[in-house]
Amino acid sequence: MSTPVLRRVIRRETHSPRTVAMFVAVILLILALAYIGLEIVLSLAAQPALLVGPAAAGGWLIGLPTAQPAGLVIAGSVVLALIGLIFIVLAVTPGRLSRHVLDAGGRAVVVDNGVIASALAQHLTEETGLTRDSITVGVGHRTVDVTVRPGIGIPLDKADVQAAAEAELQTYRLARRVRTRVRIERPAEKEDDL
Amino acid sequence: MNNTNRALNRTLLLIIGLLFLALGALGIAIMSWPTLSDIWAAAGENARSWLDQAIAATAIAGGGLSWIGIGAVVAIVVVIVLLILALTSIAGRRSKTVLRSTGAQNPLGRVTVNESFVSDAVKNSLTTRDEVLSAQVTANDVRRSPVLHVSVTPRQNTDPRELVDHVDRLLANLAVLTGRDTETFVSVHTSLRARLAHDQRRLS
Repeated sequence: MSTPVLRRVIRRETHSPRTVAMFVAVILLILALAYIGLEIVLSLAAQPALLVGPAAAGGWLIGLPTAQPAGLVIAGSVVLALIGLIFIVLAVTPGRLSRHVLDAGGRAVVVDNGVIASALAQHLTEETGLTRDSITVGVGHRTVDVTVRPGIGIPLDKADVQAAAEAELQTYRLARRVRTRVRIERPAEKEDDL
Repeated sequence: MNNTNRALNRTLLLIIGLLFLALGALGIAIMSWPTLSDIWAAAGENARSWLDQAIAATAIAGGGLSWIGIGAVVAIVVVIVLLILALTSIAGRRSKTVLRSTGAQNPLGRVTVNESFVSDAVKNSLTTRDEVLSAQVTANDVRRSPVLHVSVTPRQNTDPRELVDHVDRLLANLAVLTGRDTETFVSVHTSLRARLAHDQRRLS
């Protein structure tokens, strides 16, 4: 995937377009503007206001510092600021999707993290001889978390699982190097059981 | 893949976010900072008297209408129209392309292969495999060059490398057949269907 075209495709397929957030933001703005426009039109046509006429709204805005209840005005402002902050964060953060790029010569290949996780879990099941339910794999951008629950009395070396997981991940040829973390969870033996 | 203008998405999101944040911060500041409250009230009164004068000066034929009010409505309508245009221009516009590969002239004639042949050939070949739940092949235009998109949803526990290698071989064979190796993007997905489906095909 060395060509600019495929690099662009990879970039677009591994990052969120933020279309939904933009849609919500624009719709909110359109609704607010439409309401203001409607009130101005009603006022120009000497018709009763829908909620608050432009003159009354202007007066309320000027007297905002003494508006009651003050707590409600502050709460409304905080909510507005928070929504704005969320939109800003969504606009500037990369919005990486939970996908990995695989090296595939001249082709661009993107695989959902869930596919990698289930394949790795299946491979570890075959390697360790445990049941599929005893192995949980979580794949992130930089790390792969493997949790193994071998049950009481079943010997299992963490280093072996780690080596098997890393060897399998190598065969997938992920474009980004990931760190593998293995956790062995054994149920607590109940010594006080009679 | 679609041609959504992502820069426009993020720019609009940033502008609206800054607007909301500024309004919210202003509300908090004037409610909790007495100096700013006084400045706000004084500026508001000045603005109101200026606006009253402006409305009186631009009144139409001495009636209740004023050019200021009409101008404000027109400005709001223009902004709303621009926002709606932005919405319609970015909402999932797909750039379908017709992939056409024309072979060299030979004594028997010329063979032209189009997108639907490539799409059906790859799709049919993939869906015969046990580990593939569904496959979709489309051709899109990216920077004016055709890109084939092969989207595969395998059963759970399928080795992604084996699947990708298979798709790669398939496309290489097809390229030999059609005489054209189109740039290809392969995406391997998981879905609710993949999670619910059995991890092996039932034979009966």
